[in-house]
Amino acid sequence: MERLSMEIASPRVRVPKYRVIRLVVVIWMTVVILGAFSFGGWVLAIPRIEMLEHTARNLYFHVPMWFTMMAITLVSAYHSLRLLQTGQAIRDIRARTAALLAVVFGLLGLATGSTWAHYTWYEGTNIWWNFDPKQSMAAIQVLIYGAYFALRTALDDPEKRARIAAVYNLFAFVTVPFLLYVLPRQMESLHPGAEGNPAFSEITDPIMRIVFYPAIVGFIGLCWLLYTQRVRARVIEERIEALHQPIL
Amino acid sequence: MVWLHSALAVLVKDMKLELRSRYALNVLMVFVLSALLVVLIAVGREDISAQAQAGLLWIVILFAAAVGLGRSFVTEEEQGTVLLLRLHTTGSMVYAGKLLFNFVVGLGVNALSLGVFVLLLNVEVTLPWLLMLTLCLGTLGLAGATTILAAIIARTTRRGPLLPVLLFPLLMPLLLSAIDATHQSLGGPGGWEASLNPLLALFAFAGVVITTSVLLFDYVWND
Repeated sequence: MERLSMEIASPRVRVPKYRVIRLVVVIWMTVVILGAFSFGGWVLAIPRIEMLEHTARNLYFHVPMWFTMMAITLVSAYHSLRLLQTGQAIRDIRARTAALLAVVFGLLGLATGSTWAHYTWYEGTNIWWNFDPKQSMAAIQVLIYGAYFALRTALDDPEKRARIAAVYNLFAFVTVPFLLYVLPRQMESLHPGAEGNPAFSEITDPIMRIVFYPAIVGFIGLCWLLYTQRVRARVIEERIEALHQPIL
Repeated sequence: MVWLHSALAVLVKDMKLELRSRYALNVLMVFVLSALLVVLIAVGREDISAQAQAGLLWIVILFAAAVGLGRSFVTEEEQGTVLLLRLHTTGSMVYAGKLLFNFVVGLGVNALSLGVFVLLLNVEVTLPWLLMLTLCLGTLGLAGATTILAAIIARTTRRGPLLPVLLFPLLMPLLLSAIDATHQSLGGPGGWEASLNPLLALFAFAGVVITTSVLLFDYVWND
């Protein structure tokens, strides 16, 4: 394996193109949020189902959180793999930033899902956590990234930290798919498409899909925006830190 | 042949060191006994279900692994023998040797926990062979995951309680399958047929964990 190059290659950015994409994401998200909260009565009037009522709008937020989390988890694992192959310091920054965003979106997904279930399915009870397979899997994934960050703080040498953390990230990544196999056999699910619940495609009203599909694209775009900005900010921060290092 | 010989040499070296100092064995034995005593006192005379019994047993096993098996690489680091080991062997030989050692120690400790557990907690074992198979496969996966994580924490500067933090989220699939199969062997409703899926999951988990460890070990072991 090559040694980590101390000089961090800055990610190449085509500024005008980047600004255009950023503007598109911002406008797109604005429209999605307006659509999600449209109570106009004629535009995007969602069907009122007993018990769900207007909480059904949570679909536009809760589900895209999972899609985004899965996407950014893949990004994190990919960059950890590339770090081991190439030893470029930028890969470590990318893997770490992606992991941080996976935690953020995972926690948001857990919070929206848990609140949703509490006020609909478990209305009148005191249940917040129901051992749903998808919920447990997300919680474990967040815990894994928590362990990943704990491991990072235990290592001082930057080159070693990048390499060892990448090994742990990849090692954890291969054990997660087992949860997909094991968990649904042990726990019951409230989610669509599991244990006699109708699948998503059968029960979702076409009106809701008008907002739902763009919401997925929008949240992934938002995540991409946060990700790229954090990566570039981190590169600059590390350069400044390097400037303050005493020259021996 | 050379590879197998070297891996076995690492195993024999660890065995000899262990028999000379008896540190891990003593600590683990006392740890398992005291953990089981804690469980025993906490449960009291309550009749707990087979599911809860299986859960308690595997919690004790998991904590014993986190306490005892994590030292395999730290001792090399502390005694300054890492460089010599690196000089004479390649990463995969060391991994194989340490994995075998951890598997043997883990099997012994888990057998002991199981024996004491069955004796003290009024457990009724209906399918003993299933229980033993579950214990063996579970220990294999446990040893596979613990070995590479022990190598990881040996490289860190601040260790503390890092191993359980790294280990427990990864072992969730193993824990769930093992508890399920153990539950069936303690008079669960499904018997062998219902245990097939968890046993398969345990076997596959051990396979995937060990394969990934072999692929990744060199990055942890070499500078």
